[in-house]
Amino acid sequence: MRDRVAKGPLIPYLLWIVFFVIAPIALIIYYSMLDLQGNFTLENYKRFFSPVYLKMAFTSFFYAILITFFTLLISYPTAYFLTKTKHKHLWLMFIIIPSWINLLLKTYAFIGIFGLYGPINAFISVFGIEPKQILFTDFSFLFVSVYIFIPFMIMPIFNSIDKLNPSLVDAARDLGASPFTTFRRVIWPLTIEGVKSGIQVTFIPALSLFMITRLIAGNQVITLGTAIEQQFLVAQNWGMGSTIAVFLVLIMFASMIFTAKRTKGGRV
Amino acid sequence: MGNTIIQFENVSKSYDDGTVVLKNINFELEKGKFYTLLGPSGCGKTTILRIIAGFTAPSSGNVYFNGKKINNVPAHQRQVNTVFQDYALFPHLNVFENVAFGLRIKKMKEKEIQERVREALKFVNLEGFENREISEMSGGQRQRVAIARAIVNNPEVILLDEPLSALDLKLRYEMQYELRELQQRLGKTFVFVTHDQEEALAMSDEIFVINDGQIQQSGSPVDIYDEPINRFVADFIGESNIVEGIMLEDYKVQFAGKVFDCVDKGMKPNEKVDVVIRPEDLEITSVDKGKLVVTVDTQLFRGVHYELSTYDKDGNEWLVHSLKKAEVGEEIGLYFEPEAIHVMRLNETEEEFDKRLESYGVSENA
Repeated sequence: MRDRVAKGPLIPYLLWIVFFVIAPIALIIYYSMLDLQGNFTLENYKRFFSPVYLKMAFTSFFYAILITFFTLLISYPTAYFLTKTKHKHLWLMFIIIPSWINLLLKTYAFIGIFGLYGPINAFISVFGIEPKQILFTDFSFLFVSVYIFIPFMIMPIFNSIDKLNPSLVDAARDLGASPFTTFRRVIWPLTIEGVKSGIQVTFIPALSLFMITRLIAGNQVITLGTAIEQQFLVAQNWGMGSTIAVFLVLIMFASMIFTAKRTKGGRV
Repeated sequence: MGNTIIQFENVSKSYDDGTVVLKNINFELEKGKFYTLLGPSGCGKTTILRIIAGFTAPSSGNVYFNGKKINNVPAHQRQVNTVFQDYALFPHLNVFENVAFGLRIKKMKEKEIQERVREALKFVNLEGFENREISEMSGGQRQRVAIARAIVNNPEVILLDEPLSALDLKLRYEMQYELRELQQRLGKTFVFVTHDQEEALAMSDEIFVINDGQIQQSGSPVDIYDEPINRFVADFIGESNIVEGIMLEDYKVQFAGKVFDCVDKGMKPNEKVDVVIRPEDLEITSVDKGKLVVTVDTQLFRGVHYELSTYDKDGNEWLVHSLKKAEVGEEIGLYFEPEAIHVMRLNETEEEFDKRLESYGVSENA
């Protein structure tokens, strides 16, 4: 009896999972095995392992790692110092507010800022430097992506540092650890879960970026995200687009497993 | 003087928002003794500990360690180790690695680390627990790990910040014995912070009673219990009956409307004083034999004794610890020896207090 009562409320969620999680993935896998004429084929998978697509996959991976790395590099110290401020939650909110603004809007704003007649070029021309092409470069792509992802990285790290018992830091100092050793042997290992969550919420979306890639990097950077867009909207090759999507899903799974919680060990 | 390990010289501490935590603290701690800083929460005792450990800097005054000023020596370079109130064990390390933490930082050889950690764990009766996770240990066991982690570094001074407060009553009693024994075996200086007067009385060589950022009184447990300097100390240490009285002349004190013989002297004639009589010094007797006549208000059975709350005609409450039973509502007499009366001058400093006691000719350290 009790079992039945408990199952009832689960039905909407089960339906949700079936229709919005399982079904789309099944559809993607189904479409990935169709050619342009709608015939069953594994040709798309074979094509994915051609140099063109492998290079794209590598580029996506490479940029996603770079973006994640720089985001982490900025976010960890920021989160750390935020927890030490007096009104930490207020400051955290200030950092998070930009993430409420529409992504497209922010991206367009950067087109204006980085543009040939934008404020940055205007500023450097004061010092007699010729206006430069900032937009459509690797730098601008990384810069904007990192900017977009920072709040998402800061939040989990902030929480894990905030949760850290301050007497553990005292204890490490008391036992003779310098501030750096304290960080390396106590603070970092105890906040690594926050870092892992931060990496997940940055790395996985960064893999499939296409809007920022298109608008900020132009055609300088071609990633799997832009390739999917190409295949679906331009080439109308749903089969190939789905195949790339399948591989993206696989890479994401792999990175999830890689950043998953590990069992506690003895030494660090 | 050569035996002094830690000295506080006019140490004060206040925070930016103006709150004063410590006011002009002076004391000297000798090697190999068990000291207790005793006081209510918020009195500044933990701040003193944090200043010794190096987590907090004094606002003014100097701190000396082995004769060297250590005001600016960072925590990780001081030869003291702390047992924290919440133990502060590293949750990502197992028992062995928690204890080994300080040794690894000193880059000690693996073989020596193994040896010393094992020895420290043996000291606190935790052999065989090396590979346990901290989350698998009970409160009392964590306590021992924390102690082992401190003693393994062989520090000159071990600081203990209310380490027993999270344990249940029975375990707390056991740990009192163990801590005292441990201190004597190690021969190290222990500085123990607590708000529990029983703990302080049971374990210490010397107690500092602290209130409101000041040391109220320091001395052996017996001294402090028998000769409290003021109302606060008398009230905080043990249970006491404190009434206002007048010191008519030497050896004559008046309270509760009567004049009594006592052993105190050296006050001004007719000086206002506080009078303390401990509940266990009051003896139940018949009304005609009693020095005080009181009515029993309530009676509680405390196991070893009965605790009676009684009132005299003036409305003063007299707490009595007695092996004899009385009836609630009954009128009884209370008898006490002149020595049971302890007279306290108002606002007397510790220095004046000690001088006055010495003039009685009784050795203070009896």
